[in-house]
Amino acid sequence: MKNTLPALPTLPLAGIRVADFTWIGAGSFTTKLLADFGADVIKVESSGRLDPLRTSRPYRDGTPGVNRSGYFADRNSSKRGITLNLKTPRAQELARRLVAGSDVVANNFTPGTMEKFGLGYGAVREIKPDIVYLAMSMTGASGPDHKYLGFGLTIGALTGLQHLCGLPGREPAGTGTNYPDHIPNPCHAAFAVLAALRHRRRTGEGQYIDVAQTEPTIALFGPAILQYTANGEVAGRTGNQRGAKAAHGVYPCAGDDCWIAIAAWSDAAYAALVGVLGQPAWATTELAASAAARLARRDELDRLIGAATQHWNADALMARLQAAGVPAGVVHTAAGIVQHDPQLRHRGHWVQLDHPEMGPSIYNAPPFRLSGVEGVPCSPAPLLGQHTDEVCRDVFGLDDAEIEALRREDVLS
Amino acid sequence: MSESGAFTGFAAPQALAGLRVLDLSGLAGQYCGKLFADLGADVILVEPPGGSPVRREGPFLDDHAHLEYSLTFGYLNAGKRAIGLDLDHPEGQRVLKALAAKADLLIESDKPGVPARRGLDAAALRALSPRLVVTSITPFGQTGPYAQYESEELVALALGGLLYLGGYADSAPMAAAGNLACFAAAQFAAVASMTALWASEGPQGEGRHIDVSIQESVVMAMENAIQFFDLEGSVRKREAGQQKLAGMGVFDCVDGQVYLMAGGISSSAFWQSTTQWLVDAGVPGAAQLAEPQWSDADYLATEDAKAIFSGLLAPFAAARTKEQLYREGQGRRIPICPIQTPADLVGDRQLAHRGFFVPLQHPASGRTLSVPGAPYALSKTPWRLAGSVPRLGEHTAQVLGELGIAAGEMAALLQCGAIQ
Repeated sequence: MKNTLPALPTLPLAGIRVADFTWIGAGSFTTKLLADFGADVIKVESSGRLDPLRTSRPYRDGTPGVNRSGYFADRNSSKRGITLNLKTPRAQELARRLVAGSDVVANNFTPGTMEKFGLGYGAVREIKPDIVYLAMSMTGASGPDHKYLGFGLTIGALTGLQHLCGLPGREPAGTGTNYPDHIPNPCHAAFAVLAALRHRRRTGEGQYIDVAQTEPTIALFGPAILQYTANGEVAGRTGNQRGAKAAHGVYPCAGDDCWIAIAAWSDAAYAALVGVLGQPAWATTELAASAAARLARRDELDRLIGAATQHWNADALMARLQAAGVPAGVVHTAAGIVQHDPQLRHRGHWVQLDHPEMGPSIYNAPPFRLSGVEGVPCSPAPLLGQHTDEVCRDVFGLDDAEIEALRREDVLS
Repeated sequence: MSESGAFTGFAAPQALAGLRVLDLSGLAGQYCGKLFADLGADVILVEPPGGSPVRREGPFLDDHAHLEYSLTFGYLNAGKRAIGLDLDHPEGQRVLKALAAKADLLIESDKPGVPARRGLDAAALRALSPRLVVTSITPFGQTGPYAQYESEELVALALGGLLYLGGYADSAPMAAAGNLACFAAAQFAAVASMTALWASEGPQGEGRHIDVSIQESVVMAMENAIQFFDLEGSVRKREAGQQKLAGMGVFDCVDGQVYLMAGGISSSAFWQSTTQWLVDAGVPGAAQLAEPQWSDADYLATEDAKAIFSGLLAPFAAARTKEQLYREGQGRRIPICPIQTPADLVGDRQLAHRGFFVPLQHPASGRTLSVPGAPYALSKTPWRLAGSVPRLGEHTAQVLGELGIAAGEMAALLQCGAIQ
């Protein structure tokens, strides 16, 4: 079991220390991106006010417990975890000592929370003038709505994501997930932190980074925004249809809730598709004679294609379509993607890490490979307070008697 | 450098100043190049003969399907310098090698094997410049059984597992809108590239090859679905069109919808506040939401609970605007947000306070467009748009001139089709 940090010196971010006050989704995943590549990320938690992900399903074997959540585990690999009762002055002093020895301080609270602990940017800069300080509130550090709060799903609503996904005439569907938490916010925040570290290395200057958790997602919808600001058109929901592309959709296959995604809108791909489907009678009618005809009657075309695909095994159809050069892919369920996707297996995407309480469990590897870097992520999520003593000794320079005294005074909870 | 666009006078330093980036990519990578350009890197967009395929992506300005009018291209590439280079031509390859020898980062999204056929793969380029970082973004990665498969946005969402989670219980799975699969890969590519640059610019001094998979990037959006399968043996399904739990979902109002999270994660304070809100508003029967069964997550998941909650909230919401519900609810510390359209975003007072939308010069039309600006505020090294939307080949002469290529040689390169 590989379970001790700090990471190997060969990892590219070795030597960077992060005082990690983040929790829940977006913040924890931001610092995980740094931890997985060698940064020493020390996650500061409170057992009095738990990270809500620790008490969120799924749990190992369905049994609740603060060290049993898979959602928490996957977002916190490769980190060290300590508990501090930041309501006590002694814990706040330890937090300041942690900050003094860190390169980055990160949080995703609503504005004002870190200030309450004496850990606002002004206070931290006094302790560590060149700190890179990351704050990730929902709508930013100032402004009329800066105190508002939310989660990935409400941020999806606020950013246009919810509005743009789903069927016209039906309720806005979104992605079914807290999408902004998983990719736009952590990636933008991690990129900004690394850029700020570069600036610090060149100039000695630290800085404050304010990520409003709405803005990275809106930035991804630049083309839809321009459609409105430049052309005056408010983009709406189009289901699985896209622009002037037909055939383009998700079609049923044999089995319970089995589907295939096909993008056969170029003439060549369309011809290959109907070839694989056995040249059904409709394939040679005027409906299918040209891209324009396909487009004009695409709902009908989608129904006919679906009637033809529903007898196919999805994997077999994907293989046949790909062999014919048609962009096509099975609609993976969580079970299918873990058990049956040979490509992700080839890439080693699913990493088994042996967690002290959860046992061997699946973690996502980051979705990229860096030459010369292997074994990422290297350790499972920390138990609540797992590294408190270790960090007290190694980072704070305390001896066992001092640690015991702090524990008695409820400082380390 | 490229023309300075709207920015004149004093300019703050930028975090990525001095970095030279070659962006050879298409839709899968140009957002990555944009992230570098907007923090101050000198990003050279290398386009194939006839222009980047992204120039053919809609929407188009004034619906005018033209190489210089793609709004997607304009958004992703403003502030980069654009050169036209035929990488299948030996002379084009020679120019690219000369550029790569001076670059810190090269981003490409060609099919695996194509760069090697041109003698421009990561190994060959890093032999020229050991500190070069080469970032390859492809649908499935450089090797493996799907490496040569065809893909596009919809296929990546399907094979990446996110598609299955989207849509309604009674519909086909529904894809996420826009270019979220491609841009997911582009964002991870940016993080990976910065990670490698941290090392290549540091004492280690060595570049790397980064292999980004679009499929695998989409997998990161599956939330906790993998862990539900691994730990509890259950497969998450799509569920739009209904409350996830009682008090958690989309509700209609006068002018659209809101998303409310009275239930769900760390819910008890939000539940009490929501109950109080409805009681204060005189909603008949709202007081029952204070009864003990409503703090039981299993009860909140029942159809009964959802129906009762909806019966209380729906008439209340239907009599109010999304703005009213947003302000009143947030005033009570309840996570409720309006479901905004692109038009709503442009009118959003908080985004206006932050100066989020910025002007973008579009020389081909002579117009100034309004686009999303800084996705993060860096206090000492602010984000900024470095320039306008580049025309095809606009900076070819300038960039080749910086390599020391004389006018006569440039004419010959143009003549033989190696440059545009």
